[in-house]
Amino acid sequence: MSENRLARSSTPGVSSLQRTISKKFLLPSYIIISFLFLFSERSDFRAIRFLKALINDGITYSIYIVNTPIKLISDMSSSAKQYFNFNIVLENKKLKDEIEQLNSEKRELQFFKNENDNLKRVLGIKNKDDYVSVYAKIIHEDTNEFAKNLILTIGSNEGVQLGQAIVRNNVYLGKISEVNLFSSKAMIITDLNSRIPVVIPSRGVNAILKGSGLGGAQLLFLPQNAVLENNDQIYTSGSDGIIKEGLYVGKIITDNKKDIKKRKYSVDLGFKEHQLNYVSVLKVKK
Amino acid sequence: MNSFLEKIKFYSAHIIFTLICINDSIFINTWIAPGPIINIKYILIFYFCFFEKDRFSITFLFLIGLIFDSLQGMPFGMTSICFILLSKLASYLKKRRTQTNFQNEFVAFAISLLIVQIISVIILSNFSQIPFEYLLLAINIIVSLIFYPVIRTLLKVFYHY
Repeated sequence: MSENRLARSSTPGVSSLQRTISKKFLLPSYIIISFLFLFSERSDFRAIRFLKALINDGITYSIYIVNTPIKLISDMSSSAKQYFNFNIVLENKKLKDEIEQLNSEKRELQFFKNENDNLKRVLGIKNKDDYVSVYAKIIHEDTNEFAKNLILTIGSNEGVQLGQAIVRNNVYLGKISEVNLFSSKAMIITDLNSRIPVVIPSRGVNAILKGSGLGGAQLLFLPQNAVLENNDQIYTSGSDGIIKEGLYVGKIITDNKKDIKKRKYSVDLGFKEHQLNYVSVLKVKK
Repeated sequence: MNSFLEKIKFYSAHIIFTLICINDSIFINTWIAPGPIINIKYILIFYFCFFEKDRFSITFLFLIGLIFDSLQGMPFGMTSICFILLSKLASYLKKRRTQTNFQNEFVAFAISLLIVQIISVIILSNFSQIPFEYLLLAINIIVSLIFYPVIRTLLKVFYHY
């Protein structure tokens, strides 16, 4: 009996609204509202865009609050794992060795950088635009059959603009696809809609990297005679004029077929999806 | 006390559905399978509207659809239309069947899912510039159909026994 009573009642918070409007009018009115929203996608009115940005901001930050306890629980499990990591001494030693090696590589790189700057000065080559990075927290990550998005905590208030690159430790992750007032959406490199110009410097080859939609990416428009090998590194070429050149994207994986024409290439991206917390948005320095 | 527990049980469906909609990637892509290959939200709507048509109200589905669109960057209103359409299809197909067995239910789900995905493709191609791949969509439909009996059994055990 009580189940029937519950079945007749409605969702909390909206039941009072439903009571006031006749049920017969609800369905057509929601369909009409949905279509109005859809038609507004085509319009370019500033007021509508502002309203949408406001709605998006509101939803984004409320979802952030709702998700906080879930994130806390999932973070707790990973920190518990770390706490019970008994190989910590060995890991520490390994990391120290790695730091030493990286430091020596850094010194070497500094030498090459200075040499490069000197050569540029001699040849009269001007430096390209400088970029500044703005730190942003990822408050939501969403994937469906049509799109892959990250929602960031900064928007037009921090000067974020469409097309700007998002990176993590100098690894290219994607670009800004929608800007709201206090939040923005970034399209990940694996999104079906993502296309970026890339270069493989070790082979002198340019290509376009397209997202596959299933967590990977593929190279398009490779020259016919291009021969790539395993672990060839891919960087952004910057030829679109928006994304900074030289950002690491990933490395090549081949099936090692002897017949070069039949060889297939895939890309091992430089980051792992669903493991990102913070990113940087690259803006051109004015 | 009993009625309180029943209330929690009743609204737990709303909570689970909302959490799945706002955490699509966390629940599905990292735990079950890589990539956007299964549509648990459609399975939930169909199941509850097929067996208890009053559980998810239209207002609730409309609002969750808007939230989902905002988070996923879809054209505003698309998911609301899909959710409402699916719920109406489920309750209509249930009404038309005089005998409800699993076979009929599965066929009804397949028909509804297909119609809803076709509608979403039509909306996407007319109101948005987001490209999509038919292969991905087909995988999504097939995997959702494969998983339907499993999820439906779990829901039936929890809510109807």
